Amino acid sequence: MKRVAVEKKILERNDESANRIRKILKDKGVFAINIMSSPGAGKTTVVERTIDSLKNKYRISYIDGDLDTDRDASRIRELGVDVVQINTSGACHLDADMVLKALEKVSLDCDLLIIENVGNLVCPATFDIGAHKNIVILSVPEGDDKVKKYPVMFNIADVVLLNKVDLLKFLNFDVGKVKKELKDVNPKAELIQISATKGYGMRMWYSFLERLILL
Amino acid sequence: MHEGAIAESIVDILKRVKAESSIDKVTKVRLKIGIMSGVMVDALLFALEALRTEESIIKETEFEVIETQVKAKCNLCGKIYSYNDSTDIVMLCESCGMPLDIVEGKEMEIIDIEGD
Repeated sequence: MKRVAVEKKILERNDESANRIRKILKDKGVFAINIMSSPGAGKTTVVERTIDSLKNKYRISYIDGDLDTDRDASRIRELGVDVVQINTSGACHLDADMVLKALEKVSLDCDLLIIENVGNLVCPATFDIGAHKNIVILSVPEGDDKVKKYPVMFNIADVVLLNKVDLLKFLNFDVGKVKKELKDVNPKAELIQISATKGYGMRMWYSFLERLILL
Repeated sequence: MHEGAIAESIVDILKRVKAESSIDKVTKVRLKIGIMSGVMVDALLFALEALRTEESIIKETEFEVIETQVKAKCNLCGKIYSYNDSTDIVMLCESCGMPLDIVEGKEMEIIDIEGD
């Protein structure tokens, strides 16, 4: 019997690709965000509104990870920005290799690259895709207990957008609980309450995002 | 179920390690998985089990998983906080009020392999 020390990170290949992505983005002067949430929390609507409000000020490109369809990508394409669709063919997350491939196709003559991950609060948290900031969207109908239920995801968030706050009046949702749990899991994260469809809080989000782009 | 992708990465690394070593048959692999890594150990073992039929390298391999708990450190006072359950984590130092940095608990590593 022989024993061989390996001491290797299981995702070392992914991490190498994520480092390559960071290098490419740095060389091009592109600021990239990774948008994550469960399905239906409003990722694409937030992206749509954000692009619509900022596209005259910044050049924006968009990479969309979707299991199978190109529904999200075609919604964003209508706004006139450069869109690349990644079909993960069933995979529940984007990995760095998929994003690296998409970077060959997407226009990097931009100030902001928005990467919309696959709708899932678990798997995308494990894979570094080289983005500068992680934006996690939680929506009111999902319930106020999600932060502690998915601590790995909320721990890596730089910004948490609490979406669909226009529905607070119809549902038993305690915003204070979300704030308290987020403070436990990730005190550095910024929590911004929004309604992407009604527009509430969106200006706060845009100015926060603009500050990040300009930094 | 991203544990399928993790299991495939493990097999890829094992193939490379085996090629570079004098081991013909991998009998045991020790993995270190942190409770904040986002990997469910049961799901990972299940995914590895499912790969056995197509990947001859792990056909008779035993997998041992060493789970690491969360250790978070205050960079101001140096105090280290430990948590056995990721849902219990509090990332603020109770004396300084400073955000803590996770120093352990996110690992996903192959520690070593045994073989003949």
